[in-house]
Amino acid sequence: MIMESYRQKSENELVKASLDGDKQAFSEIVNRYQNMVARTVKGMLGDSVFSEDIGQDVFIRLFYSISDFRGEAKLSTYIQKIAINLTLNEIKRRKRFFSTFSQKGNNEMYEFEVADYETEEKKEAAELVSKALLSLDPKFRVIVAMRMLQGYSTKETAEILDLPLGTVLSRLSRAQEQMKGILKKL
Amino acid sequence: MKDMNIPDLKDLILRSLDNDSDPGKTSAEIEEAGVTYKFSEGFHEKVLDTIFSAGDTVVRKIEFVRNLNSVFSRIALTGVAAIVLLMISIFVIQGSLSFDSFLGLGDSYDESIVYLLTGN
Repeated sequence: MIMESYRQKSENELVKASLDGDKQAFSEIVNRYQNMVARTVKGMLGDSVFSEDIGQDVFIRLFYSISDFRGEAKLSTYIQKIAINLTLNEIKRRKRFFSTFSQKGNNEMYEFEVADYETEEKKEAAELVSKALLSLDPKFRVIVAMRMLQGYSTKETAEILDLPLGTVLSRLSRAQEQMKGILKKL
Repeated sequence: MKDMNIPDLKDLILRSLDNDSDPGKTSAEIEEAGVTYKFSEGFHEKVLDTIFSAGDTVVRKIEFVRNLNSVFSRIALTGVAAIVLLMISIFVIQGSLSFDSFLGLGDSYDESIVYLLTGN
């Protein structure tokens, strides 16, 4: 269990303590950012055990690269970048695998394991959003996931993805067009 | 909060992608509609177990990759240094750097390079 005192610490304090080998500090970082990582990874890959593995890899990668974190940006931005890179790599890997070994369509590369929901309507809502997101082109999907699931502004999205603001704006507009077509079919 | 019907949710999804919309507000509304993503129970413990129990193995792997990287960069640097030396020697012997002389098609004789490098 994470001690109460760690919950009060700032992210810079937690990073410093983690670098000094404090396991509790790193445990608090995982606790604080796991839902954010879940939104990115599961939003872009679907809700499956494979997404859990990618989520684990994000924090393992963070642990071994935390010394590279210089505190110029927020820790959440740094973690988000790792999550996006690993997720996009996984999408590319699946695309290569499916184009070589399977005749399955783009949407079938992903798995839906919708968890328990309070009501049937909430379950339907979650399924609709997952299917719509997974039908999008990956370069649009990442922009949509950042905005729709994480609530990042266009400027924040551009910063996280290391893209010019104009590129994010144009992709957002094209993503909206693609999404309109997808939602009509769902 | 009351459950959202599908047409309203579709409308909300499209609205969330408007550049003029407030992304913080729309993402909260989407979450309230039931769109939540969480890792399974025990995820936190699994991550910490992987890192701290298999720590030594992972550290050794990372060290190995880092060492390999430094070996590759040393080999690459040596190669670059050899190319620069070759170009300097060609320039000294021929007085210019032509593509032919770089490929060894120039009319210089071999001993001159040996002389340049050894002084004999």
